[in-house]
This record gives sequence, C-alpha cells and structure tokens, in this order.
Amino acid sequence: MEKIDVPRLINIVGEDNVKTDPADLYIYGSDSSVHSARPWVVVRPGNTEQVQAIMAFANEEKIPVITRGGGSGMCGQTVPVKGGITLDMKRMNRILEINPSDVFCRVQPGVVDDDLNHALKPFGVFYPPTPASSRIATIGGEIGNNASGVRSVKYGATRDSVLGMKVVLPDGSLVTLGARTRVEATGYQLHKLIVGSEGTLGVVVEATLSFVPIPKFRCLGMANFDRLEDAGQAIADIMASGVVPSMLELVDSVAIKAVNKTMDLGLPEVEAVLLYEADAMVKEAVDHEINAMQQVCKKHGGTGLTSSYDAAERAKIFMGRKKLFPALSKFSDVLSSTSLADDMAVPYSKMAETARTIHEIAERNNIIMTAYGHCGSGCMHTKILMEPTRQDQWESARTAVAEIYEYVRSVKGTTSAEHGIGISKASAFKAEKSDSLDLMRNIKKAFDPNNILNPGKLMDAHEDWVTATDLRYTIA
Amino acid sequence: METRPFETKHLDKWKSNLDSCIRCGYCYEHCPVFKDTRWESDAPRAKMIMIYGLLSGKLEPSAYISDKISSCFYCQRCVAACSSGVPLTDIITDAKRDFQGTEFETPGTTSVTNTDCALCLACVRACPHEAREFINGKIVTDTVKCQSCGICVDICPNQAVATHLSYGTDRSSLNQEIGTFLDKDNAKAIVFGCNWSYYPDLQSSVMDPTEDPEYKILINMCGGRLEKPLLLEPLLQNAWGVLVACCPDGDCEHDGNVKAKTHVAALRELLKEMDIDEDRIQLVQIAHGDKTGFQASIDTFMEKINELGPLNNR
Repeated sequence: MEKIDVPRLINIVGEDNVKTDPADLYIYGSDSSVHSARPWVVVRPGNTEQVQAIMAFANEEKIPVITRGGGSGMCGQTVPVKGGITLDMKRMNRILEINPSDVFCRVQPGVVDDDLNHALKPFGVFYPPTPASSRIATIGGEIGNNASGVRSVKYGATRDSVLGMKVVLPDGSLVTLGARTRVEATGYQLHKLIVGSEGTLGVVVEATLSFVPIPKFRCLGMANFDRLEDAGQAIADIMASGVVPSMLELVDSVAIKAVNKTMDLGLPEVEAVLLYEADAMVKEAVDHEINAMQQVCKKHGGTGLTSSYDAAERAKIFMGRKKLFPALSKFSDVLSSTSLADDMAVPYSKMAETARTIHEIAERNNIIMTAYGHCGSGCMHTKILMEPTRQDQWESARTAVAEIYEYVRSVKGTTSAEHGIGISKASAFKAEKSDSLDLMRNIKKAFDPNNILNPGKLMDAHEDWVTATDLRYTIA
Repeated sequence: METRPFETKHLDKWKSNLDSCIRCGYCYEHCPVFKDTRWESDAPRAKMIMIYGLLSGKLEPSAYISDKISSCFYCQRCVAACSSGVPLTDIITDAKRDFQGTEFETPGTTSVTNTDCALCLACVRACPHEAREFINGKIVTDTVKCQSCGICVDICPNQAVATHLSYGTDRSSLNQEIGTFLDKDNAKAIVFGCNWSYYPDLQSSVMDPTEDPEYKILINMCGGRLEKPLLLEPLLQNAWGVLVACCPDGDCEHDGNVKAKTHVAALRELLKEMDIDEDRIQLVQIAHGDKTGFQASIDTFMEKINELGPLNNR
C-alpha cells in the first residue's frame, strides 16, 4: 500500500468503514471487466459531509479517488489504475423522498435500481432506465455510466430521467445542479454533463429523478427470420414507421445456438429472431402498435409470429433473450465470456450489416462472438468468447475489437451505447471523438484541476486496453 | 498445535470455473452475509475473487481471508443466481478444506461450543452434516463439514453452542433489533422472515419514511431456530403481534418449519390460557421466491392486528 494517512480517513468515517487488508484491496480492484488494479484504501462514507471531508483531504494530498457503486461495470470504470482511495458509496443507500404530485424522487447514490422501483410501485410509477444489472446496480453507478436497458427505446437512458443532483467537487465543496422541474433552460445543464462522466468530474451524493406511470397494458411479440438482413430491414422500417415500441430486441443465430445448447429451449435455429413489445394505458393503442410491427415483420419475411398480453406467456416468449447472458457464460468449459466491444450503437439501417460484420471479424480472428441487443435503441451487444489464459487469444481479441470499432466509425455509429468507456474502450472512444478531446480535457480541468477523480480513464486512458492494467485472468 | 503449510490442493481443479465467473455480482443480493455488512468483501463474488487470488499467487493466504471464505450459511442462493453456473459453495468447501489444519484456519460462521457444554452429545446426534464429534472429552466441530445450519445451536439445552460469526442472525442481534424497532411510536408488529425465502422488502436500500412503519421484517436463518422466548419477546415489549414466516411443508431441509409450527402452536395455546387473543402470534408458510404471497400474508396479518388493537388494551 502506498503511503496514505489512513488514521485521518478513519477519523472522518470511523474504523468500521475503512479497509486496508490486501484481500479487500484485491477485491475492490476489479469489477465485471477484464481489468484489475488495487486501490490503497477502501472507504465507505455515510453522508455528504463525510464525502466532502474525504475529497478535501484527497485534493490536498493529490490522492486519486475512485467512486464505486455495485462494481458491476463492464469496462473498468471503477478499476483504480493509479491506486488511491476507492469510495464505496453503498452505505449512502436511502430513498429520501417520493413525490408523486411533482413527479420526482430523491435518492442517495447507493440506492439499488430494483429497490427504487420496488418502492415506486405502490405509487403506480417506475424509474425506466433500468439496465440488466438492476438488481445490484446503484443509481450513482447508473448516473456515472448513463446506463440504459431494454425499454430505453421508448423511455430513454439515465440522462433523460435525471432532473438534478447534489455533487461534491474535488475540493470538497458541494454544488446543487439541475432543478425539480420537467424542463429547465437556466444556463448550462451541468447535471446532464455529470451523467456519463464516469466519476471523473464529481461525486454524486444525491439525485433527483423523474418517473413515469406503469402502463396498464403490455404486449410482447416474436418473429423469426431466415435472413439476418431481413430482420435488420424490419428494425429500420419499424423505427421509421412512427411506431414507438417499448422494446425491440434482436437475437442472432450464434446466440440462438448458445441458448439451445446450454438451456435446451428448442428455439427455431433461424438467422435472427426479433422480439418487440408495445405498452400503453389503453389496450387499443397497444393492439395498434403490435399490429403495425407484425405487418412490417411479415413484409420482410418474418415467420412464426406470436404475441401475448399474458405475463406468463410474455415471460415464456422472452425466455430465450433472458437466458442469453447465462447461456453465453456456460457455452463451453474452456471459453469465458468477456465484455469487450460489447455495446456499440449504429444507425438502424446498419443493424443487420453490423451483426454480419461482427461474425466475419470473429471468424477471421479465431474467436466466437455473438450479436444481440436493444436494436430499437440502435444498441448492438456482443460478447467475446475466448480462452482467457492463452496469450494468443488476447492478441486476437485486440485485433477483433479494433476492427469492430473501425467498422462502427465507418457507418457513423458510436463506441458505447450504455456500458461506458472506462479502460476497455478508451482507444476507440479517442479515435471517435478526436476533435473534441481537448475540449473534454478542459472541462475535466475546470472541475478537477489536480486530476484526482478517477484518473487514467476516458481521454487519459492507456491506448492499449490489453496492457493498460493487469488482466483479471492468469495468462499462461 | 502443529499446523501444516497452506496449499491449494483441493482448489486447483476450480481454476477454469473461476475464469468462467463473469463477476457480474448478481450473487450479492442473495447473500445474508453481504446484506448484514454491506461490504463487497463479504459477498459471494468476493469469495471467488479471493480464491482466484490465492490460486494465481496474487494473494497470500491469511486468517483474514480464511475467515471471509468460512463465513457462509450454505443457503445456496448465490449458486441458484449465478449467471455462469459457478458452483460457489463447492468451491468454498474446498477452500475451507485447504485452510483446515493450517495456521490460518478460522471458524467463520461454523458453530463453536463454549464451556457451558454438558457433553450431552445431543448436537453430535442431531447434526445432519456429521460435523460434530466427541473427541478426547470435548465436542469438536469439523469446519469443512459444518454448513452453519444452526441445528446444534437450536438443540443445545445449555445454550452452549453458537455460530462464531452470526452476521445479525443470532438471538442477541435479533433481540436488539426488536427493542430498537419497538421503541418507535408507530411500531406494532415484528415479522420473522426466513433467509431461505425471498422477502418483500428493499434488498439493499433503505426508505426514509415520512412516518414510521407499523411492522419490521427481521431475517433469521431458519424459522426452526427461533426459540419460544425470542418469539414472545416482541409481545413482552408491547408489540401488538408477531408473524413467523417459514417454508411450506417438505421444503425445509432442516425440518425447521416443523419446529416453527410446534413453537407457534405452543405459544398460541399459552396466549389463550392467559386470555390473550391467540391470533397475536401467527405463522405463514411461504414458497421460495413468493414475495407477493409474503406481502399479502403480512397485509392480512396487519389487518387482524389493527383490529385487535394494542396488547395492553385487551
């Protein structure tokens, strides 16, 4: 451990909320990404004043500070590449206010997404960004990443639901950003800038979030396609038709095979499956949207069209998509599922071509990749299945990742739709945003002149993600 | 006592499973140890990361690590939740095996026997895991075999057995929680929920309520481990009622639900004899994962309790 005044930190948060054992530092040095590093100390603040005191101390001593929620990030956002203090925010986990008449709630950053929705449910409303990891993801982490999920096609990402926040700046001062109103045109919308800043600008200590009514009717449909291109065309046509699906998911043939192999679900082994959902307060509105989407699917050769309003039936239809994540993890005894190049977004018209290109790149580089995702939001998810203990597989992964991002840029897509940049995607991000990097660096400097907040990420991350940190795997 | 050096003899075979762990963290919310401390270091994922560290040589073995790994109630909920199919509790058992007999071996959540032990051997006979033995005039717990089920704690007539680390599930912690809650103005009832079931409460967050809630759900390791004095304690502290939730018949591998039913039935008889409405203590059997059913049972119970009013005004 580097020299750091631990007693001073203990003085701020109490002995029970500081960890320095090598095992704790090893645990808090990784997340759900391939990266690994170690902080010097883990500190668990319990209130805003403690966060302010920690930041003032860190700023004075120029110690890096890495804010951490559930530790479920997939790109290494919370991996402390330069050591320092890891701020575990899970102790600040209070839902402070639910205000149905003004349509907002106030929460501390350590509140878990599913818990918030559980608390909102009796009011007939929900907080919609909800990523797949909502059972452990904290609101603070979701703000850091601008998280989104299956229903973001209709309800938007985290940024669209954040009305305001309280943020501790690196010098320990506290600022209140945004408002409690649906709209605001009062100067720079700095709270929107904090969303997606991956803990590099300030520490969020309270968030004001909007919510929406839980729809009374929800219908889920499925269509099979013999050609991936036809499914891609159907996606583009649905999104151009004026229909607003509450979910539009693509599952490719590799994914279907994975689910069938590991879960024995017996899904039709076609090139692509589309899952589409509509929701509303009035059934006729849902009927209209579902019919419109089915017509588009039929027009493009979609077969086996099914749909249901029944919750149990919907769960059955969605089972293949839901089981995909574990299916990929269990695909083979020697292959591990890694989160690399895993959430790019492309224009709707390029969705099928992107899936096809991902398969070609994977085959050329001797790895297995699948393509699935929230294509209604333009988001394509992939996982790289590889033997992580073989050095040559990392070389292949490095090449494949670079080729995928080069393609994504060529079709005017973007590096990350919902998982953020962290370390894993920094080189692609820098290539994509090359003409605005200096501007971003200046913004970072205005917030954090001593560069203590999550250093070595985004613009300042290592060019090569493979060697940027220790990998969490042991390579032979 | 002579010790042997730490070797990853039993853990070696799990290397590829640990590579498969995608470290998603979905095991957190199911773990009673994590829920008590809220430190990631106590979550099942952390146990796997520490074991990986030991196998890769990135972590040195220590009593601290041994204690963390041995802190497991074997509820198996992390195994059921694992996206990658990692057999977490099997790996934990092998880690305990590798730590056993070394200078780092620690009891964690396994049971320990204190000097009040009368050597009746009831715990030895009752242990379903054959983890307790009578050796050289003493009761000895095998830390590898012990799955922290608590049957020995429950059966001991002298209260001489305890889990070394209870993570809020032992009687003194529960008693303290009961007292703290019932001090609040609006507090009316205690609901004992079993960790083996899912419960209809916030999992990792806390509600800042505008008014104090009427009941509190206290999580224990098994309905069968709630002794009668603990079940009566809320009523002694002026609670209006007590609800005990346990598994449906046949679902509890320790037959804890059978014990819970017996305890509650006896206490209802006692209340009747004291001319107190027996419905102030009730038992419900909740299927695993049935949060909605659990909430409905709580609502029905609270309706009845509110109808009965405060205990002192009977």
